Amino acid sequence: MNRLFLGLMAATLLVPASFAQSRPSPQDIVAAADKVRNPGQPFRVTNTLVEYIANKPRDRVVLVVFAKENMQTHQFNNIVRYTDPPRDVGKMVLMNGSNMWFYDPSSKVSVRISPQQRLMGQASDGDVVTANLAKDYTAKLDGEETIQDADRKDRSCWHLDLAAASADAVYSRIEYWVEKGTNYAVKGKYYSDSGRLLKIAYFHKFVEQLGGVRPSETIIIDAVDKNLVTTMSNSDMRAQEVPDAWFQREYLPRVKVD
Amino acid sequence: MRAGAALCLAMLAASVPSAAQENGDLDRIPTAVGNADATPAPQSAAHGKYYVEDAFALSSSRGNLAVPIPSPSSSHWANRTSIDAYDQWTLNKDLSFTFSDRFNLTEAKGIGFPVEAARNDLREAYFTWEPATQNFVEVGRINLKSGIALGFNPTDFFKTRTAVSQASADPSSLREDRLGTLMLRAQTIWDSGSATFVYAPKLHTPRPLVGAAPNWIDPAFDQTNSADRFLFTLNLDVGDLSPQALVYHEGGRTKLGFNLSHPVGQSVIAYAEWAGGNEPDLIAQAVAFGKATGTLPAFVPVLPPTSTSRAFQNDLAVGASWSSIEKVTLNLEYHFHQAGFSGEDWRNWFDIGAANPASASELWYIRGYASAEQQPMSRHQVFLRADWQDAFVTDLDLSCISFVNLTDGSGMAQFAAGYNISDAWSIGAYVGGTFGGKRSEWGSLSGSGSAIFQVVRYL
Repeated sequence: MNRLFLGLMAATLLVPASFAQSRPSPQDIVAAADKVRNPGQPFRVTNTLVEYIANKPRDRVVLVVFAKENMQTHQFNNIVRYTDPPRDVGKMVLMNGSNMWFYDPSSKVSVRISPQQRLMGQASDGDVVTANLAKDYTAKLDGEETIQDADRKDRSCWHLDLAAASADAVYSRIEYWVEKGTNYAVKGKYYSDSGRLLKIAYFHKFVEQLGGVRPSETIIIDAVDKNLVTTMSNSDMRAQEVPDAWFQREYLPRVKVD
Repeated sequence: MRAGAALCLAMLAASVPSAAQENGDLDRIPTAVGNADATPAPQSAAHGKYYVEDAFALSSSRGNLAVPIPSPSSSHWANRTSIDAYDQWTLNKDLSFTFSDRFNLTEAKGIGFPVEAARNDLREAYFTWEPATQNFVEVGRINLKSGIALGFNPTDFFKTRTAVSQASADPSSLREDRLGTLMLRAQTIWDSGSATFVYAPKLHTPRPLVGAAPNWIDPAFDQTNSADRFLFTLNLDVGDLSPQALVYHEGGRTKLGFNLSHPVGQSVIAYAEWAGGNEPDLIAQAVAFGKATGTLPAFVPVLPPTSTSRAFQNDLAVGASWSSIEKVTLNLEYHFHQAGFSGEDWRNWFDIGAANPASASELWYIRGYASAEQQPMSRHQVFLRADWQDAFVTDLDLSCISFVNLTDGSGMAQFAAGYNISDAWSIGAYVGGTFGGKRSEWGSLSGSGSAIFQVVRYL
C-alpha cells in the first residue's frame, strides 16, 4: 500500500496552451492554465517520480498513466500502473472521482481507498498536476507579482487565490501563480481545511508534448515533511483511446502495458 | 501615530508576502534536481516480480493446556528460504499466460532434509484469451479472490484449503500467498459493470487434513479441486456503492453473497460483506469431513454434540477504514460466523476435552479443519488493523493486527515493521502472541508467542 500514494500522484503533467486575452477574469486565467495541463483527449504517459530526502535522491518510481476526461465531472479519470521498482511492478491505482481502488497483483485483491488518501504523502501530487481547478474552485485575483520560477528566472504572474467551490475539491484553498501572456502555471501552494500549508509545487521544463507546450517536470516541496521534495517527470506522452470500461475495479487486472 | 503607522505597515507586510518571500521556497529544492536529466529514459514495461526471501522464526509454547494436543510441534525455531516468481507473457494480441510460483526450503527440528524440507507451491498457471474487446476466457490454475473486508471474507468462496507457508499471520499475507484453483473463468466487462462465470471441476477426492506430506512438487489439486464448484458474480457501478452480488454452488448447496462499500466523508470507507446458505455448523462439517477422508473413524460421535442437519447460516464482515493525513490507516471490523462456536460449544469443547482426553484428537481436528477452511472458530469476533506508512523515517512501515473473540475476550495480536533498505532489499520483523484464559479460544492454543525476522532481495 505504501506505493499507493505514489500511484495516486500519477496523473499527467499537461501543459499550458497559449491564452491571449488582455484582461482575463481570474476564472478565465485558471481555466486557461487547466487547458495547458489537459490535452483534451485521452492519453498515456510515463511518469518518473524521484523522492529527495534531505537533499539526496532516495526512492525512484516509474508509472504508466492512462487518463481520460470524465465528461460529467470534467475531471480526469486515471489508471496508474507501476513498472519500477521491482517490488511494486504490476500494482495499480484507479481514480474515478470518489471511486478509488488500489490493486495488487500479488494478492489479487482490490482495496477501496478514501478521498482523504488523495492528501496523504504524494497522493496530493497527482491532483497538483491534473485537476481541472476552474471546475472546483472560485478564483480571486490577488494582484500581479514577479516571482522566480524553478530555474530562478523572473516571471511576471497573476497571483490568484482559489477557494474550494465544490465537494470534489481536494484542497480547501490554493494560491496559484500563472504567467501573464503564456498562462503557464509557475507555482502553486496547496492548503488543507485547517489552513495548513501542505504542498508547494513548481511547474518546470516546458516542452512540446501531445500538441502543446507543457511542463515536463513538476517539483513538489512537502510542507509537512520538511525533508521531502519530489520531482515528477513525464515522458512518452501519447494519445491513446481509453474505454470507459477501464475505469472500474474489475478491469484493473486486465490493463496491459506494452 | 507612529505606533499606528508601524502597526499598519506590519499588518500589510504580514498579509501580503513579498515576491522575495515567495522566492525563499526555492531554497528547499535540492541542487541535484537542477542537474538531473530533463528527459527520463523510456522504461521497458516490466510485467513480472521475482524475489528471494529468508524468514527465521522463534516460537514459544504453553504447557498444561486445558485440552492437550495429541502431537505438539517439537521445534521452537524454523528457517524458511523461498524463491518467489510472478510473471505474465503476452503470446499474441489476444492471448497471454500468467505464472505464479514459490519454492520453499524449510529447516527445523524434526523436518527431514531434503524430502520434507522442500516444497513447491504452484499458485497460478493460466491462459487468458480475449476473443472480443472486454470479453475474457481463462483456463488454468487461477487464484480467484472475492470480498471487500480484510480480516474475514465470507464471499471468498475459493479460499478453502489454499493456505501455504507464511511468515505473517496477517490475513492480507494469507491472501497474497495461496494456491489457486483449476478453473474455467469467463468475464465480460461493460462501461458500468461486469459479469463473471466460473466453473472449477472436481479432479480428486479430498486429501485428508492429517497425514504424510505430499511430494514436494505435488500441485495439491486434491486440496483445491475436490468438488465441482460454480460461481456467478455481477458487479455494477451504481450509487458510489460498488455493489457486487455472488451466487456460489458446491456439492448440492448454494450460497449467496454480497459486497458493498461507500465513502463517508473524506477519511472513511465503510464496507460490508455478507454470505449465506444452507449448511451444517462448523462442528458437523469438520466431523463429516474427517470421517469422509478416513481421519476420524466412522463410529465416533459428533463432539461437541450438535445438530448435523443443515440450516441457513449467515456470515458477515462489516467495518470501516479511516485514514489520516499522517499516513495512518485504521481498519475495524466485526465478524459474525453463524456456523462457528457459540459460548455453549466452547464450554462443551473444554469440558469434554478435560473429562475425556481420548477425545482430544477429534476436538483438535475441528480446530484444524476451521484453520484449513479459513473459517473463524467463533461466532463473534472483532478485527483491528493499524498501518503507519513512513513512520518516523521514509520507507519504514509499522503495522499491527489483532483478532479478539467477543465471547471470551481472548485474542491474538501481531506487530510488524518493514523497511525498504533500497529498491532491491527489504527487511521485516513480526512479533506476535496470543492472550486469554486457559479455557478460552486463543488462550487454549499451544503457541503463545513468536518472533519472525525476514529479509527479501528483489531480482
